[in-house]
Amino acid sequence: MVMKTEERELNQLENQVENGGGGVWEYLSLVRKLKVRRSEIVLKHGLSILNDSGKRSALGPDEWTLYEQVAVAAMNCQSLAVAQNCIKVLQKKFPESKRVGKLEALLIEAKGMWEEAEKAYSILLEDNPLDQVIHKRKVAMAKAQGKPSLAIEHLNKYLEVFMADQDAWRELAEIYVSLQMYKQAAFCYEELILSQPTLPLYHLAYADVLYTIGGLENLIAARKYYAATIDLTGGKCTRALLGICLCGSAISQLSRGRNKEDKDMAAQELESLAATGLEKEYKQKSPAKLNLLSSALRSLKLS
Amino acid sequence: MGTGTNGELKYEISQNAYIKLVLHSLRHKTAAVNGVLVGRISPNDEGVVEISDSVPLFHSNLPLLPPLEISLIMIEQHYVAQGLSVVGYFHANQRFDDVEVSGVAKNIGDHISRYFPHAPILLLNNKKLEALSQGKDRSPVMQVCILMLRAVRLVAAGTGGSGSLCVRDASKNWRVVGADGGSKLLLKEPSANVVLSDYISSEKWKDVIDFDEHLDDLTKDWLNPGLFN
Repeated sequence: MVMKTEERELNQLENQVENGGGGVWEYLSLVRKLKVRRSEIVLKHGLSILNDSGKRSALGPDEWTLYEQVAVAAMNCQSLAVAQNCIKVLQKKFPESKRVGKLEALLIEAKGMWEEAEKAYSILLEDNPLDQVIHKRKVAMAKAQGKPSLAIEHLNKYLEVFMADQDAWRELAEIYVSLQMYKQAAFCYEELILSQPTLPLYHLAYADVLYTIGGLENLIAARKYYAATIDLTGGKCTRALLGICLCGSAISQLSRGRNKEDKDMAAQELESLAATGLEKEYKQKSPAKLNLLSSALRSLKLS
Repeated sequence: MGTGTNGELKYEISQNAYIKLVLHSLRHKTAAVNGVLVGRISPNDEGVVEISDSVPLFHSNLPLLPPLEISLIMIEQHYVAQGLSVVGYFHANQRFDDVEVSGVAKNIGDHISRYFPHAPILLLNNKKLEALSQGKDRSPVMQVCILMLRAVRLVAAGTGGSGSLCVRDASKNWRVVGADGGSKLLLKEPSANVVLSDYISSEKWKDVIDFDEHLDDLTKDWLNPGLFN
């Protein structure tokens, strides 16, 4: 996950690099550090360094890291010939290397040769059964072949061993959501909230899933998690503010004709605070849409 | 529309609506994306639905309700002033060769067709999109899916000798129509694919804003004014 400040820095460097302002090596290093995917740009500029023997030797030992980075970026862009060339160079420099072996297996995977790739990864796993990257490749391959249940099976097995891997829990949650298996997704977000209770992202995602499952209890719980998100983000999260309003509307629809158990004053105050917060945000950042927001909020109150 | 079948209805999509949706999918190549179609029944021909605009919606967690509900409310409210409404749904699957109409697409399609009967689901056809740069194909790079309502009849052996016919619940099915959907979905401007190819070469997709981005940063406008200027 990338923080906003890091993202800003990345975008700045990216603009600079794309407009010929230099800073390519800083950009490539930042991409590596943040583990983000910017394959087309990395490929373009990384290759321009590698193809220039002067620039290449100026990198010193980092040259090999760049070959690796460009190889992966090339595979992402389906420039398999480029990837093959980079891997050849690395093979020559580091024969018998497991790290290069991983790249070779990745290339087989990129070619769509699933069975061979499985075999290659299994061999690599024999020597290093705790290699998290390779385990994740198995999940990725299942996804790529359109076998989400297999991906889920692999991920669940992975999480039995590496249960602290938050990225994996998030990936699992997202796969469940894509299959509309909301209850299972909710379980994943519960694990994430337990492990990092101060991260608003997880509260927000959990609230969204609870709302989607529906039913009075879930809506009331969703509202609590939206409220937690607002708390953790200092009131700046538009999605959470909207979530409060949606919950209020849905809850009052459901409790109509029942014992009005939701007429708890705190909830009403929460809703009007959320509405005010939203209007303030829109006035400041998107004034042209303020009217739309206001009539949307009105229609939520009436429905 | 008479007998309730969709046989005669055609969908005419404007260049801007069409290109915006394709560019949106290209901006998020590794994700499933969706959008809504905006328009109306043609005032000149009841058998044609004019899709005059589109709004790209999300590129993550498509099956979650809260962002979808709020986007539909705001979109309807914006366009009602122009006499337009949400008339259909667009979906691009995550994987290149996935041609299925996913569960979430069906659910959203069902919902939209409650308000606008005969709302289509348009599915991005990746193979056609890839072939765009090579060919002179003028047909849209999308498949059209129509909701088929099937009434299942049960003949019950009744008392008194005669069987009685009762209609069980109609099962809903979204079906891809036509070999390439070309005959049902028409590009209003015949040179739309040429313009689209141009935009792809100039990487115009970088400028498309969807509702997801708006929710993360309110200064980004999901109406994409000035995208095609």
